[in-house]
Amino acid sequence: MSDDDPAPLAADSTSDQDLDIREPPRVLIPVEVLEGRAISEPLVEFLAPASIVLLGYHVLPEQTPTEQASMQFEERARTAIEDIADAFRGVGRGVETRVAFTHDRDQTVERVAAEVGATATLLPNPTGAIEDVVVPIRGAVDVGRLADLVATLLAGRAGAVTLWGLDTGGEFDADAAVERARQTLLDRGLPAEQIDTEHSDSDAPVRDIVDRSDEFDIIVMGAGGPSLLSSLLGDATERVAEGAVAPVLVVRKRPDPPERTE
Amino acid sequence: MGTTPESGTGTTNRAGEAPEQVGLSTEASAEATVTEEGTELERSIGLVGGIAIGVGTMIGAGIFVFPGLAAGRAGPAAAGSFAIGAVIALLVALPASELATAMPKSGGGYYFISRALGALPGAVVGISIWLGLVFATAFYLVGFGNYAAALLAEAGVGLGGVPIVMPMALVFGVLLTALNLFGTENAAKLQNYVVGLLLTILVLFLGFGGLDALGVFGSQSTPETFFRYGPFPMFTTAALVFTSYLGFAQVATVAGDIKQPGRNLPLAMVGSVLIVAVLYVATIFVATSAFGSARLETFGETAIVEVARNFVGSAGALAILLAGLLATVSSANASILSTSRAVFAVSRDALLPKVASRMNLKYGTPHVALAMAGGPVLVLVALGEVEVLAEVASFLHLVMYGLMCVALIAMRRDEPEWYDPDFRVPAYPLVAGVGALASFGLIGFMQPASQVIGIAIMLAAAGWYKYYAADVMLKGVL
Repeated sequence: MSDDDPAPLAADSTSDQDLDIREPPRVLIPVEVLEGRAISEPLVEFLAPASIVLLGYHVLPEQTPTEQASMQFEERARTAIEDIADAFRGVGRGVETRVAFTHDRDQTVERVAAEVGATATLLPNPTGAIEDVVVPIRGAVDVGRLADLVATLLAGRAGAVTLWGLDTGGEFDADAAVERARQTLLDRGLPAEQIDTEHSDSDAPVRDIVDRSDEFDIIVMGAGGPSLLSSLLGDATERVAEGAVAPVLVVRKRPDPPERTE
Repeated sequence: MGTTPESGTGTTNRAGEAPEQVGLSTEASAEATVTEEGTELERSIGLVGGIAIGVGTMIGAGIFVFPGLAAGRAGPAAAGSFAIGAVIALLVALPASELATAMPKSGGGYYFISRALGALPGAVVGISIWLGLVFATAFYLVGFGNYAAALLAEAGVGLGGVPIVMPMALVFGVLLTALNLFGTENAAKLQNYVVGLLLTILVLFLGFGGLDALGVFGSQSTPETFFRYGPFPMFTTAALVFTSYLGFAQVATVAGDIKQPGRNLPLAMVGSVLIVAVLYVATIFVATSAFGSARLETFGETAIVEVARNFVGSAGALAILLAGLLATVSSANASILSTSRAVFAVSRDALLPKVASRMNLKYGTPHVALAMAGGPVLVLVALGEVEVLAEVASFLHLVMYGLMCVALIAMRRDEPEWYDPDFRVPAYPLVAGVGALASFGLIGFMQPASQVIGIAIMLAAAGWYKYYAADVMLKGVL
């Protein structure tokens, strides 16, 4: 399924947060393809170091068979997604395109992300030039994957990354997590002057992140696990993406069993 | 029947349209189907969702509309009528499951029959199913109207004797069609909750009523001879109430959306038939124990409300009224959806003009097909012949069920290369043979009026095929 070699992932999960330079991170970009959505140019350029999987999807109401939609709109969806892919092909490392008709966007995105072994999923809000990256840390993060993504994307460019610990007053030690992330980024070769750290006490991390989203050009955050709150209000990352001005890169959890072989 | 008179050379209909091939790759995974182009079609309905579709479609009529009518015709033996219906439904559900796992495509029964037996039987079934579902939907809506009227009466809203059953049914028919035209967000999830709520109310009611009828609470139950009117009415009543079991085949019409179809389709079809069968038989038993069947008959379409009132007073009556509203709406809605899928499947194969399967990009809904469902429903509701509506719907479905069993036999005999069902019917020649005989046999017990209307619709469908699409070939084309 993938043109990249998925094997390094398996090796990584044993050595956990070791610093071996990985294959380029894979970023899954779901695009609501028949709604005329496009990916802004700075975003394309920013993501160039990653390997991209473009997923053009079209959500159908339950009364419409997916088969019916694909009969009528398949060509259009393919053309549209290839147009977007061309933008990436101009600058990037490799683009895979997929088209899906679905009744349930989240299920499709999740399935494809798992199938391609995506490091992160992009929720593409429009953006200008990308210089300031913010990484809100509000719970245990997969520092290895985060560093993999951020360090690769920022390698050799001017942008700065802000590691922002949000302390909700629980057992989670935000400062320690931030420090760990900082150290890992340093180890991965990101110069110290490109890394800032911040600390906030927060009762409502999602709201605080959304409120500050206009100060940054892109948000990189970990996928929150399912919780009662998230089933009521929607996933935290979804809520951030909806409210935020900036695009959001959601770092996916490492798949539990060592990556299946294909 | 069973022979294919396809002698023409072309494969196009009168308008020059050919069947659309949606070349689905054979390696359909559990979560998505992949077309030849590589486009993925996500499967989003799980086992619970599948059972909810089956139960949600079926549960409306059997419990909330029929007890009065059925008991009036067959006495306590009406419970036997429902049991007969359940056996036939199960005999058909097994072959339908096998066919659906081999061909998990939109259109259900129509699709299987057109592929196994050819375009003429396919066209007759496809058009009959479209109209059969229209009759069923109209019947559910009339049931809804009765419940809405009873609820208003219960709430003490005086209408000065103005009949509101028809207007309510019509208004809701329009509302449901409009809702489906503009897209239904989360309707499937809602359906799961509605069905869950319904089952809870019914199990409580039946548990209480059953204990009461058995004399556990010491109250009087009405002793009555089982075959109060003799055994024959049990069969004619079975033909009438078979409408109650039309829902399981709707699971097959959404086969393309079901996750792990090989496992979930048979489980959902057989499971939903078993669930509703138990509820139906128990309901009739409880109802005929609470009142004599003659009295039950006088309560008409909302008889079960009086039964609940008899047990738990007006709170029980209200709960059942509410359940009745939910059930009839959910049945009507599921049927409108299935209708549009049937129309889509037939028009994809060029047996109806292609325009019928057009989708509206803005709302993503098949608006032409939905209009072809909603429009005729309103006409039938306005006619308001409950029993005839139900029987014609049963008639047209029974023809499809019988032919599905024949289709299974044909498939197994030819066994084309692509035919690789995940589920295989045990003792298949027996199950399919008896299923076909029982389905066709039940038709013989219907009122002549229903039989005449049913046959007329089938002849008209065959005539349409000869006129419009005689050159279209479908047999064996996947």
